[in-house]
Amino acid sequence: MSMPLDDDQIEIIQEFATESRDMIEQLEPAIIELGQNSDPETINAIFRLFHSMKGSAGFLEFDHMTRVAHAAENLLDMIRNGEIELVPNHVTLLCAACDFAKEALDMVESDYNDDAMVAPADEISEQLHQAIELAKAGDEPQEEPEEESAEEVKEEPASSEDDFPQMEITDEMRVSFVQEGNELLQSTEQGLLAWGENPEEIDSIGDIFRNIHSFKGNCGFFGFAQIEKLSHQMENILDRVKSGSKLSVENPADQLLAALDVLQQAVNNISDGKDDTVENIEQHLNELQALTAPLLGDFLVEEGVKEEAISKAVETQKKPVGEILLQQGTASTEQVNTALKKQQENINQAKAAAKPASRTKTPAKRQDIRVELGKLDSLINLIGELVIAENMLIHNPDLKGLELENFNKAGQHMSKLVRELQEMAMTIRMIPVSGLFRRMIRLVHDISVKAGKKVDLELIGEETEMDKTVIETITDPLVHLLRNSLDHGLEPPDERLAAGKDEKGTVKLSARHEEGEVWVTIEDNGRGLNKEKILEKAMSKGLIEGDGSDMTDKQINNLIFAPGFSTAAQITDISGRGVGMDVVKKNLEKIKGKIDVSSTPGQGSKITLRIPLTLAIIDGMIVRVGTATCIVPTLSMLEAFRPEMDQITITPDGDELAQVRDNFLPIVRLHDILGKKPDSQQLADGILIVLESQETRFCLFIDEILGQQQTVIKGLSDFIGNVPGVSGCTILGDGGVCLILDVGTLVDSAESKKIKFEETKENK
Amino acid sequence: MAEETTLSNLDDEDTQKDKYLTFHLAGEDYGIEIQYVIEIIGIQNITDVPDMPAFIRGVINLRGKVVPIMDVRARFDIEDRAYDDRTCIIVVNIDTTEVGLVVDEVSEVADIPESQVEPAPRTNKNTELSYIQGMGKINNDVKILLDVHKLLFSGEMQELVENLEEQ
Repeated sequence: MSMPLDDDQIEIIQEFATESRDMIEQLEPAIIELGQNSDPETINAIFRLFHSMKGSAGFLEFDHMTRVAHAAENLLDMIRNGEIELVPNHVTLLCAACDFAKEALDMVESDYNDDAMVAPADEISEQLHQAIELAKAGDEPQEEPEEESAEEVKEEPASSEDDFPQMEITDEMRVSFVQEGNELLQSTEQGLLAWGENPEEIDSIGDIFRNIHSFKGNCGFFGFAQIEKLSHQMENILDRVKSGSKLSVENPADQLLAALDVLQQAVNNISDGKDDTVENIEQHLNELQALTAPLLGDFLVEEGVKEEAISKAVETQKKPVGEILLQQGTASTEQVNTALKKQQENINQAKAAAKPASRTKTPAKRQDIRVELGKLDSLINLIGELVIAENMLIHNPDLKGLELENFNKAGQHMSKLVRELQEMAMTIRMIPVSGLFRRMIRLVHDISVKAGKKVDLELIGEETEMDKTVIETITDPLVHLLRNSLDHGLEPPDERLAAGKDEKGTVKLSARHEEGEVWVTIEDNGRGLNKEKILEKAMSKGLIEGDGSDMTDKQINNLIFAPGFSTAAQITDISGRGVGMDVVKKNLEKIKGKIDVSSTPGQGSKITLRIPLTLAIIDGMIVRVGTATCIVPTLSMLEAFRPEMDQITITPDGDELAQVRDNFLPIVRLHDILGKKPDSQQLADGILIVLESQETRFCLFIDEILGQQQTVIKGLSDFIGNVPGVSGCTILGDGGVCLILDVGTLVDSAESKKIKFEETKENK
Repeated sequence: MAEETTLSNLDDEDTQKDKYLTFHLAGEDYGIEIQYVIEIIGIQNITDVPDMPAFIRGVINLRGKVVPIMDVRARFDIEDRAYDDRTCIIVVNIDTTEVGLVVDEVSEVADIPESQVEPAPRTNKNTELSYIQGMGKINNDVKILLDVHKLLFSGEMQELVENLEEQ
């Protein structure tokens, strides 16, 4: 393990980490679902996920992850076999296991091992074990302690390494045992998997049987009693399958695979120089034993038929045992019938318990491939370049004035293809929001438990697609908004009942396309925003002037996004610090999104995040000032006009304001921002465009509007960093770079002008 | 991926060691380590970016990549000169950051073994700000070897970055 890892290994580990993360993402909602209704399918799904995680982690020798996954698997296994009842605590524990796995994955990704996770792993697997023990103790002990297991306990110390003087096992022998064991187990596993898919192929059973048999032999020779016993039990089952007799499940491949994992773990332990003790080996033994349906003979004995008679009958077993016994007169018809019935019942029972396992089929494989985002971006870049190159070719000055019918045809054809290619490239980055939404299930569950509220989370429009970066950016805002809805919005159950509402609150999380944007809405049916409280708080924090009586509802609602604002009287560990909503606003600004808040007191509130479809393309207006051209996002543009001199007011400070109908809007001169010389300093010679961002409007003074165009947004180089007033740049058809104006930051400079103006107005 | 880079790094060390791209700037000869150089392009239309130090002339489009342009004359506080057809942009890459350097004229790739490199002379100026890595001698010529990293990131640029981080 301490060997330096080569690149291949690192790649495998990274793949493992991403894969496991995906699994955890699927796991969490499934676990929560399990808490609500313990559907066997769900348990199986969870079990499978933990199992695969355990498998991969085991293969990569992340022992601590393996251990935790294994413990979780055990718990789930007992639950699905009906051995223990599912209690809410189990859900919490499983969630904790997920959290652990996430942490371990972080560790794995940075250090390529999970050695540092010893303590938490111990803690969680211990908790899981305790949960099992607790649940077991609660139930009647189902099976009497069998002789075998008692023996095992006795044997255990004997099998440990130090107590092995009677047979000299050299290290070399050990190594060869481990080697051979690994090979045998591996081919067994392959055989089992193949057989699990085609249960009809009895032939392959022979191979599996032989492998297990040799493994058992080796174990016996080395004195690894525990795994010998387990492999013996596996052999028994395979023997039954081979001879075609009944088992309690149609296809025990899954159970055998589980047992195989245990064997593998034991072999791993041995190779590490430890003994063959594996936790829960007994449980696996019992499980396997449960698979082999008891023989008719056993029941007959119970019914008082003599044992010798039965064995005699079994020896001559050509006909069913029962018939023979009847013939021989050693058993009455009644006895045989009851016994037969009992046997059938027992088989049925076992079948019912084990049924889910037999249904374990791998879900339909999604046809996905993982691509590094960087590669995608460069593909999109290349296509953008292709568009430019195509433009340069088709509008090449050398071709001017030439009659080129065929060339033009070919050119048009190419343009069309390039366009299609570009559109395709844009859709590649889009992923459905379902992943994001599903993550919220866990969050809502956790918070509702913590806050003692009952909540139904409804997810609508999970299939809506958004740019991957957008989804990443709105993850935090969504978390904060949901927390707020749950913590402040929804009332505790008793308060809800008192208000005549259903005890369970509802939070709706939806996504849909609207007005060329994606709208993500968080809607709750809680108590709604408290306007008085908001105003009061805003005044005490000095966020607004006056008593706020002149403010619209919308403006009041928007106050909740101010930094440091919180109406919560108490800071809980969920929310109340007044940071969250500020994050929401900041992140949305980053992706040029908008927030709408609406609320009805007593009925709930609704927050809509309006997000542009993609970050990669915007609709832009190309404007010119002097020699420079810039792009203004069309979305924030309201109107453009050539101002008359009487529309302009100049404040004593020299700030300019333009009257647009009833409003005075501050004027921002673009040439000042860019440091360029305009065609004319006179406002009347140029054009004013009215821009709006976050509810504030201002005018931008430019020389002229050149046209409108869809532009692919590119970041300015990291070397330059953020430039105030500029959000990025794009490459125009002629290959030149054109800056995209950031309306958001321009507002700030306009805002300060306006505030100054209003102050002077008031002072007058 | 990672493997490839290590390989090419090895390759670089073998073939690019002691090689410098030399260029003229206001009558002096300068050199930068060849390993940083991506390509040399003629001067082209540069788009202004507001609020930048004077030596950052703006950005250009290099086959779809937006590359900032630094005028080395302005960086050294040497008097400006109109760009002509000999003016070149040397595109360098440091830690995946690509920057174009405007120089008067590119001359050649020269081999300057370590033994021929003298340490940078001490100046009265703040040594932190010295962009000089050493003085390379080829026969009787002296080339001022520049530390590309310092050229790009020290001084005003550093402040710019720090300001950004504070924000």
